[in-house]
Amino acid sequence: MKTLHKISIGAIAVFMLTIVFTACSSTKDKYVNATEQKELIIEKSGAQYWGETCNRCHLAPSPADYNDADWETISLHMRVRANLTEKEVKKIEAFLKSAN
Amino acid sequence: MKKLALILTVFVLCFTVNAQNNNFEMNDSSTTVKPSKTQFMVRGYGHTGLNSLKSEEEKESSFVGSAFAPIFLFKHSDKLMFEAELEFVLEGNELEVGLEYADVMYVVNKNLTLRAGKFLLPFGTFMERLHPAWINRLPTRPLGFGHDGIAPASGIGFEVRGAFDLGGSTLNYSAYATNGPRLKDGSLEPEEAGLLSFNNYEDNNNSKAFGGRLGFLPFSDSSTEFGLSAYTTNGVGKEGSTYEDVGAFLYAIDFSFVKQIPALSGILDLKGQYNNSKVDDAFYTEMHEDGDQEEYTFKNKSNSFYTQLSYRPTMSDSDFMKKIEFVGRYSNFNAPEGAEWEEQSDQYAFSINYWLTWRSVIKVAYQSTESIGGHDGDGTTNGLFIHWAIGL
Repeated sequence: MKTLHKISIGAIAVFMLTIVFTACSSTKDKYVNATEQKELIIEKSGAQYWGETCNRCHLAPSPADYNDADWETISLHMRVRANLTEKEVKKIEAFLKSAN
Repeated sequence: MKKLALILTVFVLCFTVNAQNNNFEMNDSSTTVKPSKTQFMVRGYGHTGLNSLKSEEEKESSFVGSAFAPIFLFKHSDKLMFEAELEFVLEGNELEVGLEYADVMYVVNKNLTLRAGKFLLPFGTFMERLHPAWINRLPTRPLGFGHDGIAPASGIGFEVRGAFDLGGSTLNYSAYATNGPRLKDGSLEPEEAGLLSFNNYEDNNNSKAFGGRLGFLPFSDSSTEFGLSAYTTNGVGKEGSTYEDVGAFLYAIDFSFVKQIPALSGILDLKGQYNNSKVDDAFYTEMHEDGDQEEYTFKNKSNSFYTQLSYRPTMSDSDFMKKIEFVGRYSNFNAPEGAEWEEQSDQYAFSINYWLTWRSVIKVAYQSTESIGGHDGDGTTNGLFIHWAIGL
């Protein structure tokens, strides 16, 4: 068990360092819309992300149930709780705020 | 009663504050005030219902007490938030209050978030994402989770987490250090000697537990996720005791597939999780009725598994059928042979759910559990559950 523990600790430490360095070395700290990228990339809509991402755990929420400020709070909460990407969260939040 | 009155007062106050926070429209109809970045919300969930259980020895039917779990969200900025969840449950005639989690989180950048405090552990996905009553498709938890379960639910410590968009695929990660579990040595509850207790709010030794989860969503529609979790510590016993150097290693494998399939006219949701726990061998003391003591040991390995399939005919022409969900779940739990809590159990559960709204559901479920050993002894327990759960 001691060997297994040391291997696990080592693996987790290496994993954490790799992730932190990779995450912190990211140059794009803000999500950029496809239209701003001047690239022909077909982006999914916020409604698509809303339908696909929320349904992974629970039924997709009705946009009308909260106001814009509430959706901002809920989006931050869900981003961390469900470990979503910034892109998913921004798109879903924009959709919910536009549709409520 | 005083406690209950105090709690109710706090909640009335909280809701009042929230209502005031969200009152963005001023009396002067010509002026609209933008909401501030600092926001406070109360969310959460509650559930209540009827449990009717029948085993070979006894039969009981009871309306079960309303459980209420408010979640408090304090958003200080777009990057900083404090969240806390309380849990109020009626146990017998007593009101039990628990702190499910209370942590502060900070979004460093798009790939990295820091979290500290008491947080739900990403050991698989069930306890972190799926256990709330309005999300869990069945009124009960699978075997291996909850009281006497082998999967850790929460811990106090520090965590880094985040997600990477890989251009179609997605990778999410989390890694944490917590106080770790505490070994039940049998001095207080001899029948639970060798079990790990994860309610280790004040660490009983200097050994911390380290763990993490890696999740991979290979497809751009996020329909499928594979997850691998690990949790390890080299000391679960009390400092200075003979159990100080007893270590533990746990791992979990989880899977999820959720997709609307036109050929089936609905959404198919398949989930599963396998948990495995290994604690170093140790000697425990058994007290006989005549006062004699006997030392014993066993291979302290446990595992549990569940898989759940649900289907909602969301593309049906009938509005009624769109709100119906069919759920089936199998779960299994194996506790170590030779332990006082030795158990092998298999459980089948089926439910027909009716969704009143996206966050309010009525579940009518039947569950059959066949056990050898365990708290309730050998036998089969069948149950009918009618529950109403609501997300707030």
